[in-house]
Amino acid sequence: MALPLPQGLVPTEVAFLCEMEMVTVVPRQRLESIPLLSGDTPVLRPPHRAPMPLWLALLLKKQRRANIVPPAWLHPASLADIIHHETNVDPQAFSPPPPPPTRADGRTGRARPFQENIRSSREAPKPGDDPRLAPPFLPSCTADAPGGYLPYHWLELAEALLAHAADDVPAAAEVRSLLRDLQEVRAAKMRGSTQSLEGGGGVVVLRGVGAMELAESRAFVLGVVDGVRKLGASAEATRRDEEANGGGGRYGGGGGRGDFEDSDEEMEF
Amino acid sequence: MDIDDILREVDPSSSGLPSETRDLQSLTRVWVAERSTPELLSWPTDGLVERVNGRIASQIERVEALTGDMDPRSNFALIVIQTELERYKFLVRSYLRARLAKVDRHALHYLSTPDLRARLSPTELAYATRHQALLHNHYLASFLGSFGPTLQNLNDTSGNITMIDTPDLESAVFIRLLRDARVMGKGVDADGDVQGRTGDIIILRWSDAKPLVDTETAELV
Repeated sequence: MALPLPQGLVPTEVAFLCEMEMVTVVPRQRLESIPLLSGDTPVLRPPHRAPMPLWLALLLKKQRRANIVPPAWLHPASLADIIHHETNVDPQAFSPPPPPPTRADGRTGRARPFQENIRSSREAPKPGDDPRLAPPFLPSCTADAPGGYLPYHWLELAEALLAHAADDVPAAAEVRSLLRDLQEVRAAKMRGSTQSLEGGGGVVVLRGVGAMELAESRAFVLGVVDGVRKLGASAEATRRDEEANGGGGRYGGGGGRGDFEDSDEEMEF
Repeated sequence: MDIDDILREVDPSSSGLPSETRDLQSLTRVWVAERSTPELLSWPTDGLVERVNGRIASQIERVEALTGDMDPRSNFALIVIQTELERYKFLVRSYLRARLAKVDRHALHYLSTPDLRARLSPTELAYATRHQALLHNHYLASFLGSFGPTLQNLNDTSGNITMIDTPDLESAVFIRLLRDARVMGKGVDADGDVQGRTGDIIILRWSDAKPLVDTETAELV
């Protein structure tokens, strides 16, 4: 077999992706720029902060060459807020993902700011050809990231920081127990969302879900969706035939349902 | 650096990001997509893999040059460079292997029409053709040879039943919306139709997700 893995990313691959997230480090010694395949690293001069991908930050941390600045959402107060939101404000849906980062020139996404100083004077690109950035290339785990929102790779990043840089995380023990609470609340929601899979409704929206949470339940979710589809294949074919004969399929006629935009109803369908 | 790199440097549409960074982003995206879909996706036409391979080769040369140098300062740089090199090589290798696994599974399907053949890179096409020829010869020698000539085909489509195994295009995938969009998907009991917002993670069938992914409205996760 060329690749003995199932369709879809497995947790180890998600952890690999998470290591591309940018974090902020405070260097403890000077380090010249290193020419890497993904661009040159910034020159490190203590005590100036610098952005780094997580894998490099962990390497520097292990060699005691730098300290990692944990993102604002990892502080105990922010985590407690999120847990409050998950349990009391909106016990159905996941807490919302961080808002897309805005920048001075109005473009979304400030990918890997290695070289931003050199090139920030460039004029904005024509609309339409801006590269739409997504995690792990959004600066959602740097020191500037807003608190109160969990980014896509929250669980893996928090685990990595607590495992390898626990002395940089304020109140690490408290953060650890809050994370465990958060994980349990959200795991229950993830399990609950399978009810909407069973309905065979076609589209299920999971706004704010994390990468590792998806990876954990991916095989189960895909199994349920595909199983429901195979069991209901003949019923679906009959329904489509009827709709085709009756004129005006659901796609055309179902416009009314597409209009509800009640954000809190998304888990329901 | 070749002429393409220079052109890309001065191209205003490259939106301020160095081409190395953009290539890493594209490579990551195509890798995740290839790992998540039931069918083979198109080979990147902008020479992405060739470019990345060229960079890896020159980085390896740099490592070889640096290894001779015993200065402790460059020693640490060497560790960082090699770590990153391994990460890059993993990405490329995993991407190519994910593609090969799909070609292996449905070789005849991807060779059957010009549209599908166009998705393969030249080397993959050569591999698939040779793989299929070997397999057919082996079958002929072991059992097909004793059948009548009309029964020896592996790609018979008579009677509206095709012998060619195809990937299940209706299987479910996870996508993330990159901009606000209306998402419609086929379901068993009813068809879904939701107004999605940027950043939403959505489960739907690959056949419904494909147009969104092709127009870069969404990406696979």
